[in-house]
Amino acid sequence: MTAAGIVGAVAGLIIVLGIALVLTRSIGRSILLVATQSILAGVAAIAVGSALGQWQIVVGGVLAIGFKGLAAPVFLRSMLRSTAVAVERRPYLGPRLSLLAAIAIVFVAATATADIGFTGTPGAERALPAAIAEVLTGLLLVMTRRKVMSLLVGLLVFENGIALTAFALTYGMPFVVELGIAFDLLVAVAVGWVYTRRMVAVLGTASTDSLRNLRG
Amino acid sequence: MSDTLVTLLALLVLVGPAIGGLVAWFVPARLAGVIGAATIVIASVAATALAVPGLVDAPVVALGGLVVVDALGGLIVVVVASVGLVAALGTPAYLDHARADGDLDARDAARLWALMAWFIGGLLAVPLLDNLGLIWVAIEATTVVSALLVGITRTPAAIEAAWKYLILGSVGVGFALLGTLLAYASSVGVLGETSDALAWTRLLAVAPSLDPALIRLAFVFALVGYGTKAGFAPFHTWLPDAHSQAPSPVSATLSGATLAVALYALARFTQVTTMTLGAGLPSGLLVTLGLLSLAVAVPFIVAQGDLKRLLAYSSIEHLGICALALGFGGPLALSGLALHLVAHGLTKASLFLSAGGLVESGRSRRIARLGGAFVGNPADGRAFVGGALLLSGLPPSAMFVSEIAIIFGGFQRGWGFAAGLAAILLAAAAAGMLFHVARVAFGDPRRPPIPRGRRARHLVAVGAPLALTALFGLWVPGPLSAALGRVAQVLGGTGG
Repeated sequence: MTAAGIVGAVAGLIIVLGIALVLTRSIGRSILLVATQSILAGVAAIAVGSALGQWQIVVGGVLAIGFKGLAAPVFLRSMLRSTAVAVERRPYLGPRLSLLAAIAIVFVAATATADIGFTGTPGAERALPAAIAEVLTGLLLVMTRRKVMSLLVGLLVFENGIALTAFALTYGMPFVVELGIAFDLLVAVAVGWVYTRRMVAVLGTASTDSLRNLRG
Repeated sequence: MSDTLVTLLALLVLVGPAIGGLVAWFVPARLAGVIGAATIVIASVAATALAVPGLVDAPVVALGGLVVVDALGGLIVVVVASVGLVAALGTPAYLDHARADGDLDARDAARLWALMAWFIGGLLAVPLLDNLGLIWVAIEATTVVSALLVGITRTPAAIEAAWKYLILGSVGVGFALLGTLLAYASSVGVLGETSDALAWTRLLAVAPSLDPALIRLAFVFALVGYGTKAGFAPFHTWLPDAHSQAPSPVSATLSGATLAVALYALARFTQVTTMTLGAGLPSGLLVTLGLLSLAVAVPFIVAQGDLKRLLAYSSIEHLGICALALGFGGPLALSGLALHLVAHGLTKASLFLSAGGLVESGRSRRIARLGGAFVGNPADGRAFVGGALLLSGLPPSAMFVSEIAIIFGGFQRGWGFAAGLAAILLAAAAAGMLFHVARVAFGDPRRPPIPRGRRARHLVAVGAPLALTALFGLWVPGPLSAALGRVAQVLGGTGG
């Protein structure tokens, strides 16, 4: 299978997994789904990197599989076990509307990227629509879910989409910028972790339902 | 200026706050106050010294092209530096009260200073950097730092606000990163994989040959991303929580400076997009979001019960006006925008500090419980009422001049319906604001006035910005007026 073929297959699978993410209500299952998305994206990066002889892309793919495919999901599962909430019982969007939204996302992503001329990465014309769809899926999850754990899964999906966009469009940004982005994300994750713990401690719950004091 | 001096100033702004904040984090509270305040003052003064030549004359270039300050960047530096100084002046009075009440301990006080130094330092860096990627990095850094500041008191409400801010802020700046990536992809196609492919000066130079499809998508994502940071409706939902729950000096900086910086980043994308695609798409989207922001903010202003949320929704209103001005384009609306950013930054910074004083003395945020401020807390009461009158755009406020310029500019450029609607919404917002001002000002205080002297520094921090805003409404000094014109030229793409 050529690198472009692998990227195309991965892009298709990521779109299918994205629709599954929107439809499932089990938080445990959604963690598995996002982990699979991360691993697939990593595999695509490794395939393209070795085909082009660009080893930094291979390293990026391995790191993506390690951190976002394995470490982050394991961490999220352990957090999930320590809270009593395992199911997104009443998301703001019901199953039918969710399916509609998921299909709309794929359509929008395909339209928005239709007239872009591709030169770089093999298979980019497949990967970019999948990446934009993944970003929008993450946004949909963040906007329509109530549980803290679901929001974190949504953020992970969103972040995966950005990484896949970067991979599809360029081999990466200038080094200083990459360094800055990595540092920022690290600090943001640390601060997010501190606040999640603090919020669970103070509010004694893992649902954002209790975040209804500030309104108007 | 000599090259050595320019290099030194640029390093002071870019590196100074990182070091100053780090030192302030680890030293005792009293020393942290001195170091934190000194760091903010030095960085603000250095940035202004670097920016003024760019504001009145040709762009300043430093550190081998990493730093480029043109008139637009210079204006934003001046706004951030003045708001930063006001916030730093107001911080000791806030800390006195918060520590007396037990909201913060000595460790928290030192951390507040450290985080403020990083926050203002990051904001000052944005308008200096000639690289859209590094601009994103600096803005994301300020988001994380300010999320820590919003939640520093650890009350449930503050943690809720900080959590929302962090999640929505992360998603927002994530979109901005996507926009930056797409801009990079489009510029690599023309410039090749050089390190300056993200320099906005380079992007502007090659804008007509960039891939239009990529730039269109880049602009839409940058608009959503930086629009979230700038508080445009419908991406504004985090703003009233974060701005109202944060300590007052932090609210002042969030509202007066951070919003202007986010608008700046968006303006750079708008410039490139307009030169690649023409003004149609960016103008249409900006005018739509501007009107939507006004329409969303006005009812919440009119029906508001919480003093600090009132100011927060007013920020959404004013950034809506700024979005309209950027969308209208043309010299009149754009110089109005430049003046509006200065006047809004100054007034809102002062108002958050005086509102903080009123909330402290009245021991409530509810407007209904804060009546009689003229008797109960005369200094903050008068400053708040004066500031709110200026904020409503009543003459002699500079915002009267800038709002008129923006609305007339809109009519001039053929946006008659949008400009007319904006004028009506502005009048409604002003009426709502004045209604609340009257409730705060008059009547008898519910609680006996708390006799306590305000620090002189606090009085300067709330008074000086208001005096300047009123002055600029009556008379804009020649050099400032020329600078505003240059900003409009930069934004309008007719010179630098």
